[in-house]
Amino acid sequence: MACDRIRTLLPLLADGALRQPRRFFVARHVAGCPDCAARLEELQSVGTMLRTKLPFHRAPPGLAARIGAALPRETPPPVPRRRVPVQAFAGGLVGALAGVALTLLVMPAPRDPVVQGAIDSHVRSLMAEHLMDVATSDQHTVKPWLSARLDVSPPVRDLVDLGFPLLGGRLDYVDGHKGAAVVYRHAKHIINLFAWAAAGRDTGFSETARQGFNVVSWHRDGIAYYAVSDLEADQLAAFARLVSGG
Amino acid sequence: MAHDDRKRRFELLALPHLDAAFNLARWLTGNSADAEDVVQDAYLRAYRYFDSFHGGEFRVWLLGIVRNCFLDWIKENRSSRMLFQAEPAGETDETLWSERPRDPEALLLESIDSQTLEQLMLRLPLEYREVLLLREVEDLSYKEIAAITTTPTGTVMSRLSRARLALRKLWLGAHATEVVRGV
Repeated sequence: MACDRIRTLLPLLADGALRQPRRFFVARHVAGCPDCAARLEELQSVGTMLRTKLPFHRAPPGLAARIGAALPRETPPPVPRRRVPVQAFAGGLVGALAGVALTLLVMPAPRDPVVQGAIDSHVRSLMAEHLMDVATSDQHTVKPWLSARLDVSPPVRDLVDLGFPLLGGRLDYVDGHKGAAVVYRHAKHIINLFAWAAAGRDTGFSETARQGFNVVSWHRDGIAYYAVSDLEADQLAAFARLVSGG
Repeated sequence: MAHDDRKRRFELLALPHLDAAFNLARWLTGNSADAEDVVQDAYLRAYRYFDSFHGGEFRVWLLGIVRNCFLDWIKENRSSRMLFQAEPAGETDETLWSERPRDPEALLLESIDSQTLEQLMLRLPLEYREVLLLREVEDLSYKEIAAITTTPTGTVMSRLSRARLALRKLWLGAHATEVVRGV
């Protein structure tokens, strides 16, 4: 590609907005062209300067409390909307699936130390503005992205038709295990599905509730799974069954 | 009970982004007192419309509301001032980038100090300032910035390019002045 064509693409390269294979061709050109390389460096230096030198104004102490105090007066309690027919139908479907899951597979949960790690990672992902490394509902994007970075290839399914749209994925550590976190949503509840390579036999689903979160864990085909959410236990169990494809 | 639950969910999602919301409002309004008003207004509005948040990145949704509250704040307080200035015409990217300084040290944008940078940022048109903040400080994608500023993605890209050039130009100007003064 010629330099003037490359130059229009340099900002996209700097902003991480170029996809393969264009990214590769532009990067290759820059590697061999001092002029374009210098221009890219200048572009990036504006970003570096802003990230490192621009004062970041944190919210003053007390603002969170003032907002918290102002909230309840702002709106009357919303009308409960749980009995809208469509949602009732969806709930029925989920409930039915949950029933199957519960009957067939749920075993009494032994105390699992990893559960706490999974909950901590879940909360961290919600608090730290780092829910997704790759944010897309396209399972064919998430799965290869994770596979390229991990020694496992956890199944990634878009269950949007069943009420659990895929939001994306990221890398995470749970209790010392490096693994994938695949993020789903159900209504406004975020579900983190953690998965990492682990030796051992396949197991059924174990359910645990702790700190207001539900956790469903299982082991299949050399992968340990932990699904964590503030979703209700039976819905999370239904999700676990759907996502494990069993 | 349902109400408490709603409030708790909102706080869990919204409060982690309070610093981001405040920083944006602070850079837009230019002072802390007004930024606080804008942010508080934005959080109450976000809570009111919480039911219309359908997943995605909550920070993006929230920062869009902060921006709207800021625009309303302008209308109420500074109706006569056009804060979103028209983009300067006549200067193409090419002419600006080819304006290479003789002093190679001037190219080192990293050598700028925080105070100078703050001054330069405040001299930029608001729409440049905002797009630089959202991209470089908040690390948002073109698509997310487009959603927040209700601007087409292509416009975000070109505006961001012009904003970077404008900041660089201000910096080169400031730097040249310093050199002349012998600072």
